[in-house]
Amino acid sequence: MDRFARLTLPASLNSLKALLDFAHAGAERAGLSPEQRNQLDLVLEELVVNVARYAYQPGNGDVELAYAVDGPGALLIEISDKGRSFNPLESSDPGLSDSLADRPTGGLGLFLVRRMAGPITYRRDHDRNTVSFRFPSPQSLEP
Amino acid sequence: MNIEPTKLDKAVLLKVTGRMDAENAHEFEQACEQWISQGTRHLIAELEGLEYVSSMGLRSFLSVAKKLQSSSGSLILCGLHGLPRQVFEMTRLIGVFPVYESAQQAIAGL
Repeated sequence: MDRFARLTLPASLNSLKALLDFAHAGAERAGLSPEQRNQLDLVLEELVVNVARYAYQPGNGDVELAYAVDGPGALLIEISDKGRSFNPLESSDPGLSDSLADRPTGGLGLFLVRRMAGPITYRRDHDRNTVSFRFPSPQSLEP
Repeated sequence: MNIEPTKLDKAVLLKVTGRMDAENAHEFEQACEQWISQGTRHLIAELEGLEYVSSMGLRSFLSVAKKLQSSSGSLILCGLHGLPRQVFEMTRLIGVFPVYESAQQAIAGL
């Protein structure tokens, strides 16, 4: 039996709240703290926004969020879409200059995902992009 | 997200509470642009009650700050804590904006 709970919705900003609410049920079952839940929201928002903006022609596809409780205090998360092939791990880091004039306004979303979620895996199979990670990352629990 | 403006002598204080995300970050930008278009040079964002900010929020902060900088003004942040502070630190934006602990300190620094 599939141990993942799954929700598929249109890949749009309008789906964001329902997807986060769905993930909150998993966060509660895994016993994540309110602070960790907030961090998880951030990672999920950035990944869903990325799919909504870049995976499809506007209004043309779905995003699936899946989670499984991976022992006490941890969730396995998978986000997938059937849009164009895109590996978020390959996007370059934005410049992090201290000078306002030199800072681009964008490009921070996937950077935050990589920093906040810890180790992430990406796979492309059957015309599907899937990003998966364990939250909180095992690394963040180390002293 | 709620934005409550207070007009001061040298600046406008915007008390931002709640969550700033992909759906509503543009509202903050629009509120700031209204004040900028009325000639305000310094905006102080009081973020004591801001619980959450994502990259779309950061984009709005940066965009407003760049507009103000071009007219020798500034976007000043105060009261950053919790996840928003963590996000500003991770992205090293904490060094890009003038950041104060409290609105009083920000006002005194003008």
